[in-house]
Amino acid sequence: MIRFFVSVWENFKEYIVLVILLIVSLILLSQNSSQGIQKVRSIAFGTFASVTSVFTDVFNISNLKNENENLRRTNAEMMLHLSRLREYAIVNEDLKGLLALKDSSTFPLISATIVSKSLTKSQGTITLNAGNNQSVKVGMPVITDKGIVGIIYSTADNYSIARTLTNVDLKVTVKSERTRENAVLKWNGEWLVMINVPKTFDLKKGDRIVTSEISSIIPFPLPVGLVYEIGNVEKGIFNEVKVQPFVDFQKTENVFILGIVKSKEIDDIEFNLLNRQ
Amino acid sequence: MIKSQYIISILLFFPLLLIQTTIVPLLAIDTVIPDLIIILLVYYSITQGQIYGSILGFTYGFLFDIITGSLLGSAMIAKTMAGFTAGYFSSENKQDQNLVSYNFALIVLLSSLIDSTINAFFSSINFTSNIFLLFFQYALLPAIYTAALALMGMIFYPKRKMF
Repeated sequence: MIRFFVSVWENFKEYIVLVILLIVSLILLSQNSSQGIQKVRSIAFGTFASVTSVFTDVFNISNLKNENENLRRTNAEMMLHLSRLREYAIVNEDLKGLLALKDSSTFPLISATIVSKSLTKSQGTITLNAGNNQSVKVGMPVITDKGIVGIIYSTADNYSIARTLTNVDLKVTVKSERTRENAVLKWNGEWLVMINVPKTFDLKKGDRIVTSEISSIIPFPLPVGLVYEIGNVEKGIFNEVKVQPFVDFQKTENVFILGIVKSKEIDDIEFNLLNRQ
Repeated sequence: MIKSQYIISILLFFPLLLIQTTIVPLLAIDTVIPDLIIILLVYYSITQGQIYGSILGFTYGFLFDIITGSLLGSAMIAKTMAGFTAGYFSSENKQDQNLVSYNFALIVLLSSLIDSTINAFFSSINFTSNIFLLFFQYALLPAIYTAALALMGMIFYPKRKMF
């Protein structure tokens, strides 16, 4: 019997090792969201990012860094105000001002530099040099002066990983600023697309797309991009709308993390409502 | 006792990943980027054999997934298969030939093709458009870019041990 196993091992050891490794990989694949894995991930990328940040700094021109940061902060704040003003204009047109909607006044911005990028075609992630110590939390939006870049996915003490909009695992609820119609935006590997858009929606090329208030992760309108093309017009009951993002993910080096996460209170109310149904 | 070569192969991963995540994105041609880690993996798979190539691919994949925040397991499977494939060319008779000639670039091309194809599969991309076009963009172009980089290495450092 032992001789048999030894013979099998001798003849097929490469394949046996391969199969064992693949089985272990598949087991780990199913454990992605477990607490243990998240903790190991947090320590690993935190340690690596601290080395990467030193390396990245070499490429930065240090004497212009502070000045640039201040200008970028002003730009980002102005973008947020502009976005907010556009919202107000549209709301006024619809006489929503009469409802005396509450105004959320300030938007805390946490400055961060991208210390490394993993920009594969489908799994875009960026590592930022701001983490738990800077009050960064999972779910916070990452922005530039042009618009939204992505969402914080994992945090360590001084670093965090964000999924960019060019990550197939990130789906965001967006709306057309002109028509107020909502849809889900995702990355299909090639384009940002608004999926399952009913044909009755009055979207046009060039329409400005922003994040929607009904989003479970970004409860605030942030610029996303412009409608580039409306597909599937002739067949099916839905359109697929291609969106040209405002942000160039390849060239972005410095970002801000918007220090807001959706209210837990709202989440709890919605969760209880769903439970009652 | 663990061979020093084994430890070196793991240690080399970290500076290479540093370059891969900081400098390599600057070399992107329309989002197509080369994979330096595959080149290192192929080198060690050829020199150390198929079993070592598989285990090293598994280790590289694990470290890559855990550090970059990718889906844990995806790069592990992709790089394990890539290391296993490259290990086929580890025959003692042809080892030197495979390392210093254009064969090395071809082996890198093959391994990289397998690596990117498996990675694309795990990305759950909508394949309803044109599967051949997607294969071309996601697998073939990055593989060719990686192989071209390996080829440049061969041209600039002929008949010399890489690591």
